Amino acid sequence: MATNATAHHHDHDHSHDDHHNPTGWRRYLYSTNHKDIGTLYLYFAVIAGVIGFIMSVAIRLELQNPGIQIFPTISSWMAGDNSIDAAKNLYNVFITGHGVIMIFFMVMPALIGGFGNWFVPLMIGAPDMAFPRMNNISFWLLPASFMLLVLSMFVEGAPGMTGFGGGWVMYPPLSSNTGHPGPAMDFVILSLHLAGASSILGAINFITTIFNMRAPGMTMHKMPLFAWSVLITAFLLVLSLPVLAGAITMLLTDRNFGTAFYDPSGGGDPILFQHLFWFFGHPEVYILILPGFGIISHIVSTFSRKPVFGYLGMAYAMVAIGAVGFIVWAHHMYTVGLSLNTQRYFVFATMVIAVPTGVKIFSWIATMWGGSISFRLPMLWAIGFIFLFTVGGVTGVVLANAGVDRALHETYYVVAHFHYVLSLGAVFSVFAAFYYWFPKMTGYMYNETIGKAHFWLMFLGVNLTFFPQHFLGLAGMPRRYIDYPDAYTTWNNISSIGSEITVVSVILFFYVVFDAFSKKRVAGNNPWGVGATTLEWTLSSPPPFHCYETLPRITGSDH
Amino acid sequence: MKAKRPVGVVGAMTLMKQSLSVASGRKTLVSKTSVGLMTLMASISGMTDSVYAQIVGRGFDNQMGLIPGVTPIAHEIDFFHNDILLPIITVISLFVLGLLIYVMVKFNEKANPTPSKTTHHTGLEVAWTVIPVLILVVIAIPSFRLLSHQLTLPDADITLKATGKQWYWSYSYPKSGEVAAFEFDSNILDQAALPAGKLRLLDVDYEAVVPVNKTVRLQVTADAVGVIHSFVIQSFGVRLDAVPGRLNETWFKAEKEGVYYGQCSKICGKDHAFMPIVFRVVSEDKYKEWLAKTSKEFAANSSSIQFADADASALRQ
Amino acid sequence: MADGHAKPNHDYHLVNPSPWPLVGSIAAFITAVGAIMWMKSLALFGIKMGGYLFIAGFIGILYVMLSWWSDVVHEAETGDHTRVVQISHRYGMILFIASEVMFFVAWFWAFFDASLFFNETIQAARVEFTGGHWPPQGTEVFNPWQLPLLNTLILLTSGTTVTWAHHGLLHNDRSALTKGLILTVLLGAIFTCVQAYEYAHAPFGFKGSIYGATFFMATGFHGFHVLVGTIFLLVCLLRANKGQFTPKQHLGFEFAAWYWHFVDVVWLFLFACIYVWGNWNGTIATHH
Repeated sequence: MATNATAHHHDHDHSHDDHHNPTGWRRYLYSTNHKDIGTLYLYFAVIAGVIGFIMSVAIRLELQNPGIQIFPTISSWMAGDNSIDAAKNLYNVFITGHGVIMIFFMVMPALIGGFGNWFVPLMIGAPDMAFPRMNNISFWLLPASFMLLVLSMFVEGAPGMTGFGGGWVMYPPLSSNTGHPGPAMDFVILSLHLAGASSILGAINFITTIFNMRAPGMTMHKMPLFAWSVLITAFLLVLSLPVLAGAITMLLTDRNFGTAFYDPSGGGDPILFQHLFWFFGHPEVYILILPGFGIISHIVSTFSRKPVFGYLGMAYAMVAIGAVGFIVWAHHMYTVGLSLNTQRYFVFATMVIAVPTGVKIFSWIATMWGGSISFRLPMLWAIGFIFLFTVGGVTGVVLANAGVDRALHETYYVVAHFHYVLSLGAVFSVFAAFYYWFPKMTGYMYNETIGKAHFWLMFLGVNLTFFPQHFLGLAGMPRRYIDYPDAYTTWNNISSIGSEITVVSVILFFYVVFDAFSKKRVAGNNPWGVGATTLEWTLSSPPPFHCYETLPRITGSDH
Repeated sequence: MKAKRPVGVVGAMTLMKQSLSVASGRKTLVSKTSVGLMTLMASISGMTDSVYAQIVGRGFDNQMGLIPGVTPIAHEIDFFHNDILLPIITVISLFVLGLLIYVMVKFNEKANPTPSKTTHHTGLEVAWTVIPVLILVVIAIPSFRLLSHQLTLPDADITLKATGKQWYWSYSYPKSGEVAAFEFDSNILDQAALPAGKLRLLDVDYEAVVPVNKTVRLQVTADAVGVIHSFVIQSFGVRLDAVPGRLNETWFKAEKEGVYYGQCSKICGKDHAFMPIVFRVVSEDKYKEWLAKTSKEFAANSSSIQFADADASALRQ
Repeated sequence: MADGHAKPNHDYHLVNPSPWPLVGSIAAFITAVGAIMWMKSLALFGIKMGGYLFIAGFIGILYVMLSWWSDVVHEAETGDHTRVVQISHRYGMILFIASEVMFFVAWFWAFFDASLFFNETIQAARVEFTGGHWPPQGTEVFNPWQLPLLNTLILLTSGTTVTWAHHGLLHNDRSALTKGLILTVLLGAIFTCVQAYEYAHAPFGFKGSIYGATFFMATGFHGFHVLVGTIFLLVCLLRANKGQFTPKQHLGFEFAAWYWHFVDVVWLFLFACIYVWGNWNGTIATHH
């Protein structure tokens, strides 16, 4: 990493004309500035995240007790139909919407679009992204995509009902004319097309920026790990998203032009969609978590006041995770009727991923080992991340075994597993990054005490939500169920209380942000001290509109 | 349909207390001495056979482990999960937690004001690559054995077919001796008028019946013009997707009489949660009796029942 | 830089604010909504306006493309595309083509899913449809050694003519550049015409059969790329005639050539896999 960076930064003394340094609404709508576009992404992620979160709370409220309680009411608000059938359908629409929104419109825009845009150029000493104008369409395609998704919830899907309720995996025939003949599914498909185009263009931008715009002297092996993580993420995006686009395009033609890609009566195969979907979907889950890996490395290093342990191992562990991530997809499909040898291969390949992941966990701990750790707020989130990601990781090893997945597939055990790695992993890394870089982005310091209350309450809330779900899964409770046998009451009840605690923590988060903007405590260029060694801390807070008008020169040796 | 469970925080406290007292009733050392999430995690193993031994075939309240199995495959799953995977992942999680607590205590800025500059240790890096590999090998051996047992179909005593439809299951029985082939639908009971002793969301009007200690080959498919469903009975160690146009096969050999439940486990539309699976395992005699009676009852609608070629199993090798 | 503000101490191109991304995504949104309303015959305010919305949105997209790339050409002409910026553009184009390759992977995956596993017992309904045969029973297919082979030769030839044009550009032989480009565009247009003729005489349809679905999706998507590549080359021809492109700086041309070669290589795979290998055991249609 750029430990010996000497940035020849000087104050922003150029007088820019209006044309170049725009003001008012044009500054954001027409933006070609990576920081402004990053800010747009963050606002977008917050809005989408709140909507996705509200949906999850509705789901948990519904499941707090056996029986069907709140969805008839929600259905009467949204579709003017409070019948039980409409409620059952709307529940499926909500679990679908929650998944799609949290993945495509919350975590990805926050980690890649938001923090990636803000800090990849700053960390590698680049004045902006390689394609600043294309950067802006990557952002603006997202609101368009999101609007299509929201529209889909209000038009007909299944006969006589609104919205698409087939899960984010949208397997045909449930997503074809058989299950959802109405236009809702077409809206979902085109929404994902736009989101996919946005991500592919963004990924091309990041790869180009990182390969071609690193500051003089910053070799790949001196590059900050966050930039490494975004680089690998971007490659996963470029290579996996077009396959999803292909898969849903074929779904679109099956639905509207009578083709038989997924229709067995015309020689097609519904399982083909699952292969294509998971060839994208598995890399996608690494897309969600890899930027978090990069962020956690910086935070752990900063607050241990120690360089990252085993830098090269950390970087190439991510490369390995990304590469192997492309050849494990069918572990999501152990129950479709794959042959013995196919399942053997996917069990083997999937377990291999545990090795580089273990390297990362242990390297973070080794980074802390011998350090001088200060438990500032970002560090709390990072330590929370490491432990919770470990818990999510080991249940992943359990599920990797097709033999035992036979007992746990499509149960709440899987829900618990992926929420531990995503909701408690990726989302914790989002909050870690937010609290780490908020002073840099805004120039203001937040109230750390309330922030710590946010952390502890959320830590309690999400663990209470998701840990009991392991038990539900082991006891066989299937996922995507609006109602469950009475035997599953206890843990569902506790899980829902966890979700309610999380609501309070999220409200606290917004208070922290509100408080920081209203009190305007000046953060200073580097609030974190000598441990914060990457280039962004050499800039002012907030950084000038254009940074590095003279490029920083990186000295020191490779790792 | 409403719950009898207490709601809200007070309710949760009661529930927590209940489940913790269950946990501390266990005889393992861990659960006696520690409280909180780790206790829960460590005490999942073995819970099932001691506390609620009277309930078989479905989940039960406060349950923290797998539903006990009644087939050779399910026993193998239970063993692999409870005695190999769960201890390993618990130890790894506790080890990571222990390391984190240790570094937080030992290397916080008060205890250790001057950080070291160590960024490499080849021995350590090799160790934390090689040891996980070894652990994975330990996991892989029983894993691959279990997988082979699950997917290698033995010679069957009887073959039957489950078809997932929107939103119920149909079961087909082939001709056997004097008894004609027949097929029937199995629908969830009317939840508004549930007879006493019947389970909400689980019991059906017509259960599938199989004989005890016989190898059953189960073919699973879905309505040709329908959507994907998934057949599961956890006590049998069986889960297999019902895909339109595909004929999947699995097997089980139930060793204990009783009623065994499952619920559709692939999202299939609005009534996904309302198409349970119920298999009753009975003695050979009772099975024959049931077969004779039921085949007459459903003879009318069962003229064209097709079963897959037995060679289908050869493909799975 | 185009405008006269203080020049920073680096060679990167800090692009001026632009309305095109926002306008482009609004156009994309309108196109998407229009497409759905059109396909599903939906009405808004009682009017079935899907087709109009789709066309309006699509025109919007074309307008944004034209304006955006005009800006890019203008920036290139005014010196914003320094050496390092040109390297960025190369990366960008390579990665774009890589993503396109993965798009084709999806079509090929669908094709091989059906053509390799046409007789798998477990897939009962598919076997019933194919009759355990690929191409599926009752499907008449094209003879690969007639028009498809001709098209292969046309595309391969167009690969050489575009290289000739490139050679001319590098050696400042503008006449070779123009002639090479004209020939390439013509060959591309002929390919498209032959393909259209073939489609019009196809003995199988897009609907109802996995054979037709995979065939038309893969070759159709390729055909669309040929069209885009031809337009791309045509734009290069117009730019060349305006005196643009120098032996040292001609990324627009280079990218058109890369794209054309990519389209060419994809065709070779289509020809080898779908036309030759996939039709090997097929009944060749006689009326051509």
